[in-house]
Amino acid sequence: MAGIIYELSQLEDSIIRCMKCGTCQAVCPLYRKDLVEPSVARGKIALIESVYEGRLEKAGDILNHLEYCVLCGRCKQNCPSNVKTDEIFLKARAVLKKIKKMPGWQKSLLGFVMDHPERVTKLLPFLHVCLKAGSRRVGNNALRPFMLPMSDRNVVSVKKESFVSKYKGFNYAENERMRVLYYPGCSVNYIYTSWGKAVVETLKYFGVSVYVPEIARCCGIPAATMGDIELYRKMVNLNFDYFSSIGADYVITSCPTCEYGLKEIGERETKRKIPSRVIDILIFLDEVLKIDFTMPFDKKISFHLPCHYDCSYSDLPEKFLQRHFSSNYIPLKNTDCCGFGGTFSLKYYRDSKELALAKAEELGDKKIDTLFTACPGCAMHLTDALVSAGCKTEVLNPIEVLYEGIKSGVPNRN
Amino acid sequence: MLKKNTIREFREILGSNNCWNRPEDVICYSYDAAYEEPVSPDIVVKPGNYNQVSKIIGLCAEENIPLVIRGAGTNLSGGTVPLSGGCVLLTTGLNRILEFNKEDLYAVVQAGVITAELALEAEKNGLFYPPDPASMKVSTIGGNVAENAGGLRGLKYGVTKDYLMGVRFYDAEGNLIIGGGKTVKHATGFNLPGLMISSEGLLGVMVEFILRVIPKPEYSKSLMVVYNDIIRACETVSEIIASRIFPATIEILDNFTIKAVREAIKTEFPAGADALLLIEIDGHPEVVNKDFDRILKICNSFNGTVRVANNKDERDKVWEARRMALSSLSRLRPTVILEDATVPRSKVPAMMKAIQEISKKHDITIGTFGHAGDGNLHPTILTDKRDRDEMKRVKMSIDEIFHAALKLDGTLTGEHGIGFLKAGYLEGELGAGTVNFMKKLKHGIDSKNILNPHKMNL
Ligand SMILES: Cc1cc2nc3c(=O)[nH]c(=O)nc-3n(C[C@H](O)[C@H](O)[C@H](O)COP(=O)(O)OP(=O)(O)OC[C@H]3O[C@@H](n4cnc5c(N)ncnc54)[C@H](O)[C@@H]3O)c2cc1C
Ligand code: SF4
Ligand code: SF4
Repeated sequence: MAGIIYELSQLEDSIIRCMKCGTCQAVCPLYRKDLVEPSVARGKIALIESVYEGRLEKAGDILNHLEYCVLCGRCKQNCPSNVKTDEIFLKARAVLKKIKKMPGWQKSLLGFVMDHPERVTKLLPFLHVCLKAGSRRVGNNALRPFMLPMSDRNVVSVKKESFVSKYKGFNYAENERMRVLYYPGCSVNYIYTSWGKAVVETLKYFGVSVYVPEIARCCGIPAATMGDIELYRKMVNLNFDYFSSIGADYVITSCPTCEYGLKEIGERETKRKIPSRVIDILIFLDEVLKIDFTMPFDKKISFHLPCHYDCSYSDLPEKFLQRHFSSNYIPLKNTDCCGFGGTFSLKYYRDSKELALAKAEELGDKKIDTLFTACPGCAMHLTDALVSAGCKTEVLNPIEVLYEGIKSGVPNRN
Repeated sequence: MLKKNTIREFREILGSNNCWNRPEDVICYSYDAAYEEPVSPDIVVKPGNYNQVSKIIGLCAEENIPLVIRGAGTNLSGGTVPLSGGCVLLTTGLNRILEFNKEDLYAVVQAGVITAELALEAEKNGLFYPPDPASMKVSTIGGNVAENAGGLRGLKYGVTKDYLMGVRFYDAEGNLIIGGGKTVKHATGFNLPGLMISSEGLLGVMVEFILRVIPKPEYSKSLMVVYNDIIRACETVSEIIASRIFPATIEILDNFTIKAVREAIKTEFPAGADALLLIEIDGHPEVVNKDFDRILKICNSFNGTVRVANNKDERDKVWEARRMALSSLSRLRPTVILEDATVPRSKVPAMMKAIQEISKKHDITIGTFGHAGDGNLHPTILTDKRDRDEMKRVKMSIDEIFHAALKLDGTLTGEHGIGFLKAGYLEGELGAGTVNFMKKLKHGIDSKNILNPHKMNL
């Protein structure tokens, strides 16, 4: 116990910067829903403080409150005192996990999935069949499992064949002008394989050869959020080593959370500099390739900004859509987090879904045909809520539509 | 410690979802935005209707449980810290705007409505709710009334008290009390809305307010004035007021604060300036332009260099930089203590000099900015609460700042309230007789002293 308290007290220099001003209440999606202090960053910080200052005996009891957080980063972005809330929360979770240990099976499963992506890939056809047999189709690409405790969710199915098993290795572009590495991440590799395909094919079309890793290694974020910081560091190190061995200038992603896990906290936790520039596909198309085209997409569309999207480009995707798709673009009033938060939605599914349903309601009211987003996690979670709300909106990544356009010969290559 | 039975009774009133007594829950209500030692309540409740409020008070009265009301918990005087434990009552669950009347220009809102939400609702209706504390995105109207919150616009538009027409609250026995109403003129009975202003949770649990809204000013103009000498900037302010010009806002920033803002964000604030005045004038275009010319002349005569914000973008940037003052300062050292001693407007130069001397004498870092037009300065002390020796000097500096303000016919606090932190200074400003009168008033209304005990030393 003394060790735990000592380790938490190591956070004091970051925590003491919090002046308890309460500004984070204005932006925290969970506070705005619950209107109670343990939901918001200020409360969580006070809890950690109370443990190392000796005002709260049972340190393990605060873990539930610390895990009740979507890690959306809004408190950090808006904190007047520059308190690094995400860093504090992840470190405190990792320390407290030593008391409230992860159930053994959870830890082994996590370790297995991260260490052996190739074996998970082998299991895919099996998982795919199980899910199909054990569920019914509820539209929007989603299935509703019959089995409790999953029976209230609409899950986007895992695919029979993983993305990397189809695309691994070099995908050469005719008229090659550049080479990049694509980092698909787990969600694209197992579930949103269509995003991966669209990324590779689109890049090829614009003269960029794409190397796809033989093994889709996890970024490690799920381990970090579950408090297994060692496993997380290991994954980041493996990924960094891999990037240097390939020597790619650009590593393309289509999952902002992978990007956040590798770049922002990855660099901090491993104290290493990331060897390549990790960049979202949309930013790459716009900023590096400077593609220029307009294609018809005759629908009412909107965009959901993922919390971990590179914040220096937060208005890029919206502009991308408006510039390149001639459609009816309608901005959303609700700019909150979708509520997914990865492992958060496993532990606090109801709260997580409540946030997504609030978004689904607006999409339904505004009769949006297509909601674009740039994160597979958001896409999955919003699809779940949209199906529950009986809403017909489909959720896509802009790259999918762009690829459809390419197939029908619309955008010009320049 | 509460009895098991009592806890059960709380649960019966509220249901188990709106009632917390585990240590890891109540600790989150042991602090507010003031710098002080945390103390946890025994139980926290979040009523969703007035009936529950009345019953909670009844139970607390019966069991002699201290009752501390809490909105957003952003006050800067320790007002919501439950010094002797007991029950913290959250008003955040009472958060509806009940009526917005465009014909008669008032709004009826519940205590937990967030200030910015009311301001936005007014704007949507083409009207204006002027009180704009810097915390308005999170502070509640209940907290604003209980602290008489002010803001940047105080100079011309006044503070919360100038907009409060009516209030509904529950007294210490759980009875509903109705004060004021929807008419502009109202002479029926005591002025209870006036009594509840600055009541800091000591006189009753307020649940509903009637607030005045006004037409939106047609036109506005902002300017930034740069000085080599802060005292000249303060003299400018006194002169503008003496010339009977009432800008919506006159804000001041000292050299240290300007530097801090420049380090934190990209801003037009000039390097090397000893002080800045930020002025906004609003109203009828003709009047605004006339006042603008007069202000220009005054600024020039005090050696200020005027820069006009020419469009909305430039204007927004200037005010955004002003809003960054406190946060930019707070990034420099671990602990920030924000004071708000206030003096009559003509005494602003003298007060500024006093702050500078105190800072030098005790070797304490103080950045000063604030609402110069109201005489309401925010000397902001930057320190580290872990450094005992420095904290001693901080304490002495705060004492001296208060005494300086009182000597200049000022007051301890312009907008942050007394709460617990400034309770010890109250008698010094008001005299024993006044404190005694307040005590009698408080104990007459709340004989068991269950409502926010110890605050204001009452
Ligand atoms: C960064 C920052 C900037 C600030 N800027 C300003 C500013 O510019 N101007 C200004 O005036 N203040 C400012 N404040 C102080 C504070 O925000 C105000 O005092 C605000 O009015 C408090 O509102 P609250 O909802 O947080 O109240 P709380 O802090 O929750 O409560 C304040 C007091 O009011 C009592 N109370 C609350 N609700 C009720 C109710 N319904 N019935 C009875 N009593 C009640 C409480 O018991 C307590 O004593 C600032 C604070 C911060 C942290
Ligand atoms: S985390 Fe930042 S915004 Fe939240 S209370 Fe602390 S200082 Fe204020
Ligand atoms: S990361 Fe998001 S959910 Fe978590 S405390 Fe901060 S604002 Fe709230």
